[in-house]
Amino acid sequence: MSILTYILGWPLLAALALAFVPRDLRVVMRAVAILATGLSALLALKLFLLFPGAPADADGYRFVQQVPWVESLGISYCVGVDGINVGLVLMGAIVAFAAACCSWEIKDREKEFYILLLIMTGGILGAFASLDLFFFYAFHELALVPTFIMIGVWGRGERRNFATFQITLYLSLGALIALAGLILLYLDSGANTFSIPDLTRHIAEHPLPPVAQKLMFPLLLFGFGILVSLWPFHTWAPLGYGAAPTATAMLHAGVLKKFGLYGLIRVALPLMPEAAESWMSVLSWLCLGNILWCGFVAVRQRDLNLLIGNSSVAHMGFAFLGIASLNLIGLTGAILVMIAHGFLAALSFGLSGYLYQQTGTLDMNQLGGLLRRLPFIGAALVMAMLAGCGLPGFANFAGEVTVFFGAWKVFRAVTILACWGALIIGAVYMLRAVRSILHGPLNAEWPQVADAANPWRKLPFALLLASLLVFGFFPRLLSDKITPDAERIIERVDSPYGNGNVCLPGYDGAAVLTAAALELRVETDHSP
Amino acid sequence: MTPALHHYLIVSALLFSLGLLGVVTRRSLLIIYMSLELMLNAANLALVAFSRFNNHLDGQVMVFFIITVAAAEVAVGLALIVAIFRRRQTTHVEDLATLKL
Amino acid sequence: MKLAFLPWLILFLPLLAAAWIMLFTRANRCRSAALSISAVVLGFVGTLTFVGANGFHPVQPEVSVTWLAVGGLDIAFGLRLDALSLLMMLVVTGVGGAIHIYSWGYMEEDRCFSRYFASLSLFTFSMLGVVLANNFLQMFIFWELVGVSSYLLIGFWYERASAADAAKKAFLTNRVGDFGFLLGILTFWGLAGSLNFEAIKEWMDNGIGFGSTDPIIVQSGLTLAGLLVFCGAMGKSAQFPLHVWLPDAMEGPTPVSALIHAATMVAAGVYMLSRTFFIYTPDALSVIAWVGGFTALLAAVVAVQQNDIKRILAYSTLSQLGYMVMAVGVYAPSAGMFHLVTHAFFKALLFLGAGSVIHALHHEQDIWRMGGLRRRMPVTFWTFMVGTLALAGVWPFSGFFSKDSILATAQHHSPALFVLGAAVAALTTFYMFRLVFVAFLGPERTSEASHAHESPWVMTWPLRLLATFSLIGGVLGIEGLLTGFYDPVGSEHPNGLAAQVFYPFAHAPVAASVGLASVAAGFLAAHWLYRNVAEDPLPARIGALSRWMRNKFYFDELYEATVIRLQDTAATVIDWFDRWLVAGAAVRGTAGVTRLVGQALRLVQTGSLQTYTFLFVLGVAIVLFAVLGR
Repeated sequence: MSILTYILGWPLLAALALAFVPRDLRVVMRAVAILATGLSALLALKLFLLFPGAPADADGYRFVQQVPWVESLGISYCVGVDGINVGLVLMGAIVAFAAACCSWEIKDREKEFYILLLIMTGGILGAFASLDLFFFYAFHELALVPTFIMIGVWGRGERRNFATFQITLYLSLGALIALAGLILLYLDSGANTFSIPDLTRHIAEHPLPPVAQKLMFPLLLFGFGILVSLWPFHTWAPLGYGAAPTATAMLHAGVLKKFGLYGLIRVALPLMPEAAESWMSVLSWLCLGNILWCGFVAVRQRDLNLLIGNSSVAHMGFAFLGIASLNLIGLTGAILVMIAHGFLAALSFGLSGYLYQQTGTLDMNQLGGLLRRLPFIGAALVMAMLAGCGLPGFANFAGEVTVFFGAWKVFRAVTILACWGALIIGAVYMLRAVRSILHGPLNAEWPQVADAANPWRKLPFALLLASLLVFGFFPRLLSDKITPDAERIIERVDSPYGNGNVCLPGYDGAAVLTAAALELRVETDHSP
Repeated sequence: MTPALHHYLIVSALLFSLGLLGVVTRRSLLIIYMSLELMLNAANLALVAFSRFNNHLDGQVMVFFIITVAAAEVAVGLALIVAIFRRRQTTHVEDLATLKL
Repeated sequence: MKLAFLPWLILFLPLLAAAWIMLFTRANRCRSAALSISAVVLGFVGTLTFVGANGFHPVQPEVSVTWLAVGGLDIAFGLRLDALSLLMMLVVTGVGGAIHIYSWGYMEEDRCFSRYFASLSLFTFSMLGVVLANNFLQMFIFWELVGVSSYLLIGFWYERASAADAAKKAFLTNRVGDFGFLLGILTFWGLAGSLNFEAIKEWMDNGIGFGSTDPIIVQSGLTLAGLLVFCGAMGKSAQFPLHVWLPDAMEGPTPVSALIHAATMVAAGVYMLSRTFFIYTPDALSVIAWVGGFTALLAAVVAVQQNDIKRILAYSTLSQLGYMVMAVGVYAPSAGMFHLVTHAFFKALLFLGAGSVIHALHHEQDIWRMGGLRRRMPVTFWTFMVGTLALAGVWPFSGFFSKDSILATAQHHSPALFVLGAAVAALTTFYMFRLVFVAFLGPERTSEASHAHESPWVMTWPLRLLATFSLIGGVLGIEGLLTGFYDPVGSEHPNGLAAQVFYPFAHAPVAASVGLASVAAGFLAAHWLYRNVAEDPLPARIGALSRWMRNKFYFDELYEATVIRLQDTAATVIDWFDRWLVAGAAVRGTAGVTRLVGQALRLVQTGSLQTYTFLFVLGVAIVLFAVLGR
């Protein structure tokens, strides 16, 4: 059996086991949840370390396991990783472990909470590991449904119901649209298989007709886009995360949300290259909506969770920009951003959850000077906020800067504005949060606020910070794995923009200079 | 005169209609339940008849399955009805309207 | 190249020290300080050893490893070891070492002693990274890191609202500059296809890839790209119009002001300009020269009416940075770098002297509440005098030589800037002697001033050391080294001691004499106005101008009213739209319609199962009839 099956199987198995644990054995339930997620995190780390040496099959996938399920429809349980999802699996497993560690704030109906958390974890890891469209989608739904329940039952704040309502509507709609696109893809391909490698191979030989692509691609783009909070379908995200219990926000904002981007990269780009090209300039402007619009909205927030929520929507813009640039550099950057943001979002929501648990409010006007009371949590929050505004040394910088380099040749004006969003608007709201929560005189209302006392409380934050720093210092750990497989995808997209070569055909240096210097014109009219 | 296939089918259809009439018009849970069983057995009769006249055993096998499942279902259904009666002191369907908006 | 591992060690030791302090020795003050100090001192010794083994021009000037490689993007992490970077390393670790030691005394009573030294070590690491970078992106990375260590250190006393605000302001202003810097880097990468300085230089020299025959287009494009890179230097070196953060940065502890906001970090902009000197077109250089000159004049004028001892020095730093930038702009990066080095000595000395005074007076910073300190604090006074004379540019102090070489090139390239430079020199002398006359001479103005006493040896020894270098820094051969670096063949700078001491008078007598004359004028004016006065006579004499000077020409207020207001308004409007249009109308609208439809459909739901059954059977019957009935 593939190690991947164990990685996604342990949490699901533990969820099943928890169903039989009596309700009053709270310690056992916590222990089982932490052990199961910890085990999959360790296995994922092992997978990540073994990855370079493992034998790859003809399509570049490693650790593949295929078990036929419904042969008449071509559905099989098939898991495997290549450079694109190996980092995502590792990130997902680590975040899930951290989320399980951060769940001590849950006091009522713990049994159900941990069962749902473990199901969500198994679903997320399964969605990223699956190489079969059917399981890819089914695992995602398996993770999505617990999200709604957890926000509705264990959520906080008076707008909880509206938030649950909105997030359910939006995400179900997004998943539905994407499903329609996937079913169309299955039917139109004529390959009678749900297996992604087989489909890809089939379509490479018999490309989908342009008309079919034109119909499917927008379905996938906006279906998956809604799941990633693509502007203007983003309003569910800040509200939903604001209302969600800590662990749910960590898992959803950190990992599950990346599913849409992963779907775009894994399915939409390689299978419908012609349609993809025609949509990319639209996508590049939409991603500015994420970066600038949501950045400005974040500047105005008073609640820390809403601020982090909006900033996480803004960060998704960088991943979209990387995808939109349709070259190797941009795509690699997008995946780096996805992984880095997973750690960062989980860290930020974990810390804000800790603060909320200690103070009972996240209103930044009421907080202040907490760094004195919270040396560890405060320092971690400062680091998270600095990572959020793209400070080198954290993984986010490596991703964002790669995206900028990738996008620079394709969408010049968009890149300039995105840099503004990353360097300045990002810094404005992040520093504002630090200033009003941690700096300044200590408010007399908070004498009882206490720092994370024992190593167990510190562990999840330290782990996430360490991950951010390791991938920030050594981005090659990820990029060297991603690049060969990203190249495979880019080769399918027969792009007029080229593969990120230095000098592009028809790319006259002087024309570029004039464009840069005088007009700031967008070079996007290559599309047919 | 040996009965032909259509004779069986007519009986089966009559049984089915009687059962349906019972289900739609009666107001006592127990009677509705008995009518339902009537419909089920009407279908069984049709299956056995087809099976006999097509010289094929598939239908009869299926009837065995249905009878088995129906037995289990009757047990569960009757238990539910008894439970409802104990709680509410009635099995009249118009009294059981808690879920109605 | 011998001892190739040493530069790596020198670079990473401070980072290790910072991490170690934060993780393990937070509670142990002594060990934290010792770790941090030994990291930087070892760096200094290591650099000396390396220079001793390889000279200032190692055979193989670059070593690098790949940090990130994707397709056409290859970002290296490399070290560039040449005269420029080795000299700068000596300054960073040498001056930095003195300031680290001084900090032990100055921060003795602070609660967060360990955090202070960890941040200081982080800064040393980042600054060495900027100095050693061999490509644009690596420089940008460490550029951001020095920015963040500056943020952490300005906001060191975060519980004071003013310090927290100043830290935020410094970071954001720097980010505006970095925005331009990043765009400049992207432009050069797009054009030259590389980030490496040497590769870009080669590309510029060969002119390949310009692709256009029209020289005007090529020139204007390159000018714009160069100016974008210069934006980064404008932020870090606090050039007009991004100068507003530096005076506020004085909210940090005084040794920090000395190390980061006077001697090293703010000079990073000048270092970067000197490092990338080859990319600037003549048009770009003249913009750079005028920005620098204007900053020098503006800051010197403002400094004349400041009363806070650290703010005077801060504006003086601004003004001197303007001088250095101007030097790069008039084709003399070697003079700019020379001034950077001597300035690092005497400005660090002045700040540490000011720190000693502040320490002795229990955090009193207003010069009008001091006085008579010459008798109470002799070591501080005499070393401060050395710094003042060096800053004013009195022969044979180090500042004279570096300022003279800037004035000499300015005279050669642009007479207007030469006059401006001379005026700034006069103003510099004027405000520095105003400070000395008011704070150190004359009668004690407060009881605190009369009870002041000399600082402990751990603080005075760094002062003595820096004073020595402020005195002799001009004749150590630094200028010869730098001119040799930029012009290996045509440099004829003398190396003998006596020849160096009199070189300015022989080489450019006009510049030297004009420089000395402006110093004399400034001193006489200060002597006439400020000798033995009880309060500032200038406001009465020049009225409104003095108020404008004291309020820094209202730049903060101007930015508050325009840029910040604009961004805030945009944020408010967009937030409103987000809340009411996207979330409100779109989402709630859809939800409302859905709810209405639901309510209509609910009427069909009678709740009677038997009705459903009947309808169901009716439906089946109709379908059956439709399928079979005909």
